[in-house]
Amino acid sequence: MKNRLLLDKPAMASAVRRLADEICAKNKDAGQLALIGIHKRGVPLAWRLAAEMKSRPCAEVLVGTIDITQYRDDLSMMKMVPKLEGSDIPFSIDDAVVVLCDEVIFTGRSVRAALDELLDHGRPRRVQLAVLVDRAGREFPVQPDFAAHRITLSDDERVSVLFEEVDGEDAVLVQKSEEKKAE
Amino acid sequence: MNMKRLYRGGDIASEDSPKLKRADVLVEGGKIIRVAAGIKADAQTEVVDCTGRVLLPSLFDIHVHAREPGQEEKENIATCAEAAINGGVTGFVMMPNTAPAIDNAGVVRSVIASAGRTRIGPSIYTTGAITKGRKGEELAGIAGMKAAGAVMLTDDGFPVDNPQVLRRAMEYARDYDLPLASHCEVKELSGKGSMHEGSVSYSLGLQGIPAISEEICIARDIRIAEYTRVHLHIQHVTTARGMETIRRAKERGIRVTCEVAPHHLIFSHEDIGNYDSHYKMNPPLRTKEDNEALLQGLIDGFFDVIATDHAPHTEFEKNQSFADAPFGITGLETALPSLYDRFISKGRLGWNLIVKRYSAEPRRILKLDPVPVIEGGIAEFIVFNPKAASTFTRAFMKSKSINTPFLDKEVKGLVERVIYRGDELLAR
Amino acid sequence: MTPRKDLLDIQSLTDAEIEFVLANAVPFKDLFRRSVKKVPTLKGRTMLTLFYEPSTRTRSSFEVAASRLSADITHFDVESSSVVKGESVLDTVETLEAMKVDYIVVRHKQSGIPNLIAKNTAASVINAGDGWHAHPTQALLDAFTLREVFPDLKGRRVVIAGDIQHSRVARSTSLLLRRLGMKIAYLAPGSLMPRELPKNITQFSNWEDALKWKPDAVYLLRVQMERQAEQFFPSIGEYHSNYGLTDERLKILRERGVYLMHPGPVNRGVELTDAGMDYERSLINAQVENGIAVRMSVLYWLRPGAQGGVS
Repeated sequence: MKNRLLLDKPAMASAVRRLADEICAKNKDAGQLALIGIHKRGVPLAWRLAAEMKSRPCAEVLVGTIDITQYRDDLSMMKMVPKLEGSDIPFSIDDAVVVLCDEVIFTGRSVRAALDELLDHGRPRRVQLAVLVDRAGREFPVQPDFAAHRITLSDDERVSVLFEEVDGEDAVLVQKSEEKKAE
Repeated sequence: MNMKRLYRGGDIASEDSPKLKRADVLVEGGKIIRVAAGIKADAQTEVVDCTGRVLLPSLFDIHVHAREPGQEEKENIATCAEAAINGGVTGFVMMPNTAPAIDNAGVVRSVIASAGRTRIGPSIYTTGAITKGRKGEELAGIAGMKAAGAVMLTDDGFPVDNPQVLRRAMEYARDYDLPLASHCEVKELSGKGSMHEGSVSYSLGLQGIPAISEEICIARDIRIAEYTRVHLHIQHVTTARGMETIRRAKERGIRVTCEVAPHHLIFSHEDIGNYDSHYKMNPPLRTKEDNEALLQGLIDGFFDVIATDHAPHTEFEKNQSFADAPFGITGLETALPSLYDRFISKGRLGWNLIVKRYSAEPRRILKLDPVPVIEGGIAEFIVFNPKAASTFTRAFMKSKSINTPFLDKEVKGLVERVIYRGDELLAR
Repeated sequence: MTPRKDLLDIQSLTDAEIEFVLANAVPFKDLFRRSVKKVPTLKGRTMLTLFYEPSTRTRSSFEVAASRLSADITHFDVESSSVVKGESVLDTVETLEAMKVDYIVVRHKQSGIPNLIAKNTAASVINAGDGWHAHPTQALLDAFTLREVFPDLKGRRVVIAGDIQHSRVARSTSLLLRRLGMKIAYLAPGSLMPRELPKNITQFSNWEDALKWKPDAVYLLRVQMERQAEQFFPSIGEYHSNYGLTDERLKILRERGVYLMHPGPVNRGVELTDAGMDYERSLINAQVENGIAVRMSVLYWLRPGAQGGVS
């Protein structure tokens, strides 16, 4: 697999800062923002965004995580049964302003699943979507409110966002692969 | 048929020596007219190439369930005879646990007549029950059954629970010179058990049949037999302690013989695995230590005979929970190949032992003549190919039932030909 | 983790599979704190309970678990009088196959029936208790419950007391706990102690010795009062005073902080007194709650039509 580096560590950090700026700007009227990271790599993104937003004049930020495994539309087709991380939202999201965070949006199916799960946790006032990378190729009518980077790739390529907390390094890579993954 | 047949180049097994003798065997008119090396065949003689084959006297099984009358969905005497021939067995003794039981002269005559219509009719014998209906209460018509042709008495399937009834039966039977065969277990100790009581019955959560059930009954029956001076034959021995008891009795000169089944030599309770009722029989498969003790008993001459306890059951019956499935597996067709595969091919048992214990001695117990492959002897032998294999598929087996742990399995060795009184009943 | 078709016993599970099921039960338990306690995981699938022995607890535990996974639940009413022999079981299975049920949860008084059913259907079969043989989901919830109290189970001790001979709970739970590194002892009257036990199980014939062994938890088994066709002990009174958890013994447990477990339902006055039912270190209610989470985890993992259901 040949890798192409799209964003290096400083570029990634800069992208996160830009997202934080935009989220805060768009939500000036909200007293509180709930950043909900979608497992797996939406979680470190949510935490990093929260850290950035805390150092700005911005709404109060709460962080939660959701594991969308059980809401996936392809769960029964998967060869292996995935381990469950579990969702952890230690606050009520009723009437809250929620920003779903994921590292990549591609087909839009994950976000669909995340929205369904979110609504089983409560009834938010408003839900927005923040992603680090928006990869063209939607299969569902879902669009991010905030995207740091937009790309179009061919079918045999995939984008990988690596976080130091999870993968040991910060990078956004484009890799050649056989499988087209639903993201 | 008056055809002459020359079986050329085979290795002849006999009970006298573990060594096989390479020789040609010439058969005519139902007899073996010559055994020698380099026999020349004339134009009227059919030559059968037996290179690499073993020729041995055909087998005789003194413990077979032919299920006639009344249970013909499992087997009947005709299909049982065909199954026997398929396994190289040309004579057997039928057990009386049929419906109705073989407990009077009329039924004895009827099964003998039915046997007479099979291809090995003259060599099929029947037991008679000890008690009426095998209920263990009243004596069956022993004298009548003997007159009609019964060769042995047994309530097999059941022990005779009441020692006093057993004693009276033995005293009476002694005068008719009928051996009495015992299925040894104490019903109350066996309870509703479906397998050997031990570590496997614990982990499978099944009620067990303790070894003491067989051991105690063997001891009891031997004492009563000694007291009444009758010839007692202990069927399907499976316990080392049971063997000990029989051994001491033999040493004391008591007239007791005993049999072992191939499946008790080959399988143990550990083979029961996933509740497979093809491993369910009574007495049950016991431990590997028992397997070894039984094998040693066969090797050192303790066991008088090998007998399969061929017990056909329909697929429907066996396909139930382990506890509900009936006890028993078939054995006539698988016995010789499986004994070859597990023991003879590995050098643990010699051919002489098989000939002695599964051909000669069973006949002797019934006062019949053995059929050694010798010049002047009756032509009743089998041609066995150690280099071929037997795969026990439904199509291969002639029994009506397929309840054998060897189902669809391959085993080394194949019965290729069966000669009965000069006629080839099987030629593969 | 590769899915299996059936869950028939603990024996056939690998260590990795056990860890997988127990670990996934945690998020399922967290689900109970949400207002919408449901996930759409098994939407459109049907779970059928086939209980030849009555059991409201286990059956409703499975039903709640399945409905929280959005599965449809149904019960096959088996008249106990019509079920005498196994052939009825296979006839029933054929009917269920025609109905295209996805999961069949079976309880039967004969060991091996779930194995027989699993061999004859493409549906996933879960053993909810067969004869004396196995009760794998009980074992899993027992292990899960003990882990909540003792995160590291290695070396911890449990005494299982009661009718060991006829107990599928004893067999499955003791097997699983031993595999997880716990030390197990059995306490039973001689007539209810199996003759041959795995070598790593300690045996006691009285409470004094059992308590000297310093267990961390005591697991009481139900006394099978219905099954006394054969007499195994002289009377309930004698059983309770010698093998039950009397108030005196409860006092010792309390002093030492020993936990109490029971698969339920409890025979008051036999295994346990009224005071015992109120014991503050009783895990009995936790077992019930965890039972649902564990069964959800099992249903999440099994897949109808997958390979390797049988050991």
